[in-house]
Amino acid sequence: MTAPRLAAAKLIRLNRRGHFIVRTVAVLFCLAALIALFWAEQDSLRPALKWVRLHGLLCAGLAAVGSALSIARRRALKRAEFARSWLAAVPVRSSTARWESLAIETFPAIAAIGLLAVFGAACALVLGLAGHAEIFAPLAIAAYSSGGIAVGIVGSYLVPQPKPVILPPGSRYVPHQKARRAADVRPSLRALGAWPIRQMFAWAQPKVVSRALIPILVMMPLGTTADVAMVVIAMFVTMGALLLLWSAVILASRAARSWLAPLPARRGVAIRAFLLPACAVIVAASAIEALLLLVFNVPYRTSAQVGACTAVIGCLTVGGALVWNLRDRRAP
Amino acid sequence: MTGPILEIRELRAGYGPRTVLENISMTLYAGDWFVLLGPNGCGKSTLLDCVVSRLLPSGGEICIAGHSLRTDPYDAKLQLGYGCAPDVLPGLLTARQCLEVHAGAKGMAAIGDDLFALADELKFTAYLESFVDTLSLGTRQKLAVLLALVGDPQLIVLDEAFNGLDPASALVLKRNLRARIERRRGALLLATHSLDIVEHYADRAAVLIDGRLKHAWSKDELQRLRAKGGDFEAALAGASGEPD
Repeated sequence: MTAPRLAAAKLIRLNRRGHFIVRTVAVLFCLAALIALFWAEQDSLRPALKWVRLHGLLCAGLAAVGSALSIARRRALKRAEFARSWLAAVPVRSSTARWESLAIETFPAIAAIGLLAVFGAACALVLGLAGHAEIFAPLAIAAYSSGGIAVGIVGSYLVPQPKPVILPPGSRYVPHQKARRAADVRPSLRALGAWPIRQMFAWAQPKVVSRALIPILVMMPLGTTADVAMVVIAMFVTMGALLLLWSAVILASRAARSWLAPLPARRGVAIRAFLLPACAVIVAASAIEALLLLVFNVPYRTSAQVGACTAVIGCLTVGGALVWNLRDRRAP
Repeated sequence: MTGPILEIRELRAGYGPRTVLENISMTLYAGDWFVLLGPNGCGKSTLLDCVVSRLLPSGGEICIAGHSLRTDPYDAKLQLGYGCAPDVLPGLLTARQCLEVHAGAKGMAAIGDDLFALADELKFTAYLESFVDTLSLGTRQKLAVLLALVGDPQLIVLDEAFNGLDPASALVLKRNLRARIERRRGALLLATHSLDIVEHYADRAAVLIDGRLKHAWSKDELQRLRAKGGDFEAALAGASGEPD
C-alpha cells in the first residue's frame, strides 16, 4: 500500500457507489440550475461581476487569508486524527506520507479552486450565449480568487499551528441540580423531556457559540450601536437555540426509540414526556423573539404574528418528528 | 406461573433481504439460566433483539410469560428486563434518571430495595447522580444490568453483560442473578462467549451457528460434563462441527 489514507478513502467511496447515479444526476441538476439562475439574472450579474473585478486584488487577498487559516486548522485536526487512526501504525515511506498529507490537508482548497472554475465557466457561457462583451470577467475573477487560494495554501505553513479543538463531554455544560440521595428515585418518564433540552445545552458549548457569533459580529456595519448589537446577538441566540432544540428532539427521540423498545411504555405517554418541555421552551423562545422584534421597532401586530408562527411551526414540526421517530414498527 | 417464561416458535428474522435467523424454536422455564453461545456474527444479538422487541421478526412467534410479543406487547414487556449495550444508554441523563424512566415505564410506584442493595454491592451508588456520558464502560455496563433488573422481571435478557466488568463485580452479579431467578422463579437468557458461565452457572446452553440452533445442552448433560471435570471448549468445538 503506497498511500494508505487515500487508498482507504477511495475504498470507502467505492463501497458507496450504489448512489453514484443519484449523485451524478444531482450534480448535473445543480449545474443546470446555476446556469438557469445566471441566465435569469444576467442583468444584475453584469454590474456585480464588474464590481468584483474592480476589487479583484481584495478578493484574492481575502481568499488567501481564508484558505491559509482554514488549511492550518485542518492540518492540526487531521494530524491529531491520524495519530489515533487505525492506519497510524501502517509503514509508509516518508516521501509518500508527505504528499499524502498535503493532498488530504489541502483537499478543500483544491475543491474550491475547481468550483470557482466551474462557476466562472458557467458564468462566461451565459454571458457568451447572451452576446455580452464581459465574457472574460468571470474567468478573471475565478483566476484571481484561485490564485489567492493557492497563495493561502503556501501561507498556511507560516500560520502558527492552532491547537485542535477537543470538546469535553456534552454534560459539562448542562445545568443540573446536584446531590439528592438514592432513596429519592421517583419512577417517572419526566426525565425524557429533559433529554433534548440538555442536548441543546450540550451542543451550545461556549467554544462553539463564540465561533458561530464571529460572522454575525463581522457582518454588522460600522457604526452599529451597542444596544442594537446586543439585540441582534440576542435574536441570533434565540433562533440558534430553537434550531438546536429542534435538532435535539429529533436526535434524542431516535436514540430513545432503541432504548425504550424493550419497555412497556405507552407510545402516547412517551411522546407527551418528550413534547411538553420542548414545546414550553419553543413557546418561551418565540415570545422572546417577538419581544426582540418589538425592540427593533417592528409593529406590535407583526412581532406577535412572527412569534406565534415560530411557536406553532416549532411545536408542530417537533411533534411530527416525535410521532415519526417513536412510531410503531411493522414487520419486514 | 407454571407455563414457560419464554417461548420462541419457528422464529425467522433478518435485516432487509438478508435472513439472519431461520426456524429458531426454544423454551425457557422457571429457574432456567440459559446461555446462548456461538461465533461472532452468528445471530445471537439478533435473536435477543427479537426477544426484547428491538427487531421485528419476519416470521414466528415469541411469548413472554404467556403473553405474545406481537399481539400483547405491553403485558409481555412488563415481564421483561433487558440489559442493553452501554452505548445505547442516553449520555445526557443521569444514572438515577435512567432508573426513573425504566421504573416509570413499568408503572412502578418505587424501586425495590434489593436493586439498591445490588447497586451498593457493585459499588455503583456513588454514580447515581453522574451523567451517563461521564461513566466508564464498566460502570455503564453495571447501569445497563441494573436497568434490566428494575421491576424484578420474570425474564431477564442480557447480551454480553459481563464485558468490561471487573472480576469482583462480575462475581457479585453472577451470584445475584442466580439467586434472583431462583427466588423469582424467573429465567435468564444470556448471550456470551464466556465458557466459565456455562461451566459454573448455566442450567442449559445452546450453540447458534449461521442463524440456526446447532446443538443444545440440557441441564443433565451440563451436569454430566461438570461431573467429568468436563472440557467445555472441546464440547463447544464438537457441537460447532470444528475439529478438537
